[in-house]
Amino acid sequence: MKKKIMMVDDDYDLLQIYVPVLEKAGFEVATANTAAEGLELFKTFLPDLVMVDLAMEHFDSGFVLCHRIKTLPEGAQTPVVIMTAASHETGIRFSTQTEEERKWIQADEYLDKPIPPRELLAFIKERFFETPESQQH
Amino acid sequence: MKIERANILVVDDEFGMREGIRRLFEAQGHRVETAETGRNGIDKGTAEEFDIYFLDLKIGDIDGVEVLGAIKAHFPEAICVICTAYASIETAVETTRLGAYNYIAKPFAPEEIQLVFDRAIERRWYILEARQLRAEQERRLLEITQEKSRIRTIINSIADGIVVLNQDEEVVLFNPQFPRLLELDKELVIGRSIREVLPEPYQELIADIFRQKDSLQALQQEFIIHPPAKLVVMANTTTIRDDQNRLIGYVSVLRDISELKQLELLKSQFVNMAAHELKAPLTAIQGFLEMVVDKTLGDEPETYDNYLRRSLERSKTLITLINDLLNISRIQAGKIRREIERLDLSQQAHSAADFFANEIEKHELTLETEFADGLVIDADREEIQRLLTNLISNAIKYNRPQGSVTLRTSREKGYARLDVSDTGIGMKPEEKERLFEEFFRAKNPHTRSITGTGLGLTLVKKIVDSYAGRIEAESEYEKGTTFTLYLPLAER
Repeated sequence: MKKKIMMVDDDYDLLQIYVPVLEKAGFEVATANTAAEGLELFKTFLPDLVMVDLAMEHFDSGFVLCHRIKTLPEGAQTPVVIMTAASHETGIRFSTQTEEERKWIQADEYLDKPIPPRELLAFIKERFFETPESQQH
Repeated sequence: MKIERANILVVDDEFGMREGIRRLFEAQGHRVETAETGRNGIDKGTAEEFDIYFLDLKIGDIDGVEVLGAIKAHFPEAICVICTAYASIETAVETTRLGAYNYIAKPFAPEEIQLVFDRAIERRWYILEARQLRAEQERRLLEITQEKSRIRTIINSIADGIVVLNQDEEVVLFNPQFPRLLELDKELVIGRSIREVLPEPYQELIADIFRQKDSLQALQQEFIIHPPAKLVVMANTTTIRDDQNRLIGYVSVLRDISELKQLELLKSQFVNMAAHELKAPLTAIQGFLEMVVDKTLGDEPETYDNYLRRSLERSKTLITLINDLLNISRIQAGKIRREIERLDLSQQAHSAADFFANEIEKHELTLETEFADGLVIDADREEIQRLLTNLISNAIKYNRPQGSVTLRTSREKGYARLDVSDTGIGMKPEEKERLFEEFFRAKNPHTRSITGTGLGLTLVKKIVDSYAGRIEAESEYEKGTTFTLYLPLAER
């Protein structure tokens, strides 16, 4: 059984970059372009890992989607990674950086974009799938 | 200390008395008027103020006391010397009680009346001197009052809030802007301690100043009054010291900088969004190129064709974005150099459409035009072209194959009207609402492969606004969009 990853990003090109790499590594990948689509997809696809872009329709769409997934009964245990091009050293600060807000968001990891495809793959394997089933067949 | 030429009035019914006094004092350079009846004496004596009045007590028609009373009523400071034949103590007392300065008993020798005159004239001099001083003082007081009211007016008309406190933190002076700015609900009263009425952040500021009162010269601090939290006030507080450098109070000038703060916030938001939008295409380009370089998907070069093409597309977007950003900042800074000329809007639309002929063909679209004559506007050619280019390129990008792009110009109530319609993917109402927002791009399955900066329409709107025109959009999701813009017709 392949592990399932859901990627939500409003930049179609980024999905074009990451999806083939993840698929080649043996994951089953499904994608969505908006937070709303992402939430619907989650309920039917039931992924093992969710990768969400932060700024989509709104600057904090990723936070909201993460929170929604984590508050679903079937999503409470699913790891969520928030990816953002607004890295901290650019001086861009979101209001959602306090401890309280982090608790509300419940993201498992924050990743700064851009991240090279192979690095993303290595990170995902190491952090969430120590012994991926994909390597067993 | 001398009156060189005194004015003297003699009221006496005896000719000898009148002439005797006249001769005596005229010889000394004074002016002497005479009256031989009480009635005449009152008339003359009240018509002008004499320096010295010599009044006979026993005149034919009216009692001298009555003459004295009339003159004193008119000139309370008049120096009246009573000349009387019955030099009794009672008469003297009575006349001095009525305001006479002195009396002299008839008959008298010239030296006697001279002595009385000299003392009276000295007295008169003092009175005149005092009167002058008083007038001067009154004038100065008036000046000071006027000066005070002038300063008051100036302080009251300053847009900043001003408050002056003494070292006991009691209000000494304030202008109406001060309580208004702080939105004080309690009344501010001179002499009242300021702490009773101030909002908390401001109290802390005052406490700060008093903690360091010996070293402190001036303190600048921003604080937010709550509620409402939107109000940001900048307080400039300076100590007031006496000539021994002792602190005697301080003056605080408050300025409402809420708007400034709001602008700062907007600006930093814009910069953040711009940075994010600049990073997005670079992220994609970097990702594509990394896959190509790492040969992530194998050794077949064709696998990467699409990635390289997309990289090129995205880098073009990046250039456009940077140009748009520069144009927006130029318009906002009001730094654009415009060359205003008479332009025919239909001709401009026509030439802009020509420019897109290839693009239209490539997208399998047809172009329909309907141009009205004589739509003359005063505008900068380059800006009008930029505006048309943005609208037409949107109509192409967001169209669907076999669709059409329609350009139509017409005249409408002093305006040249231009409609740019497409038969494309349209917009949802919530997307239409955010259309002119900086960096906004509709995100739906139809737009995923369409590149754009999110600034094109922002720019169009800014240009249209700057010509006192207006732009409207009509759209139906999955049916198409029409942009209508109105630009004022040139005056003939």
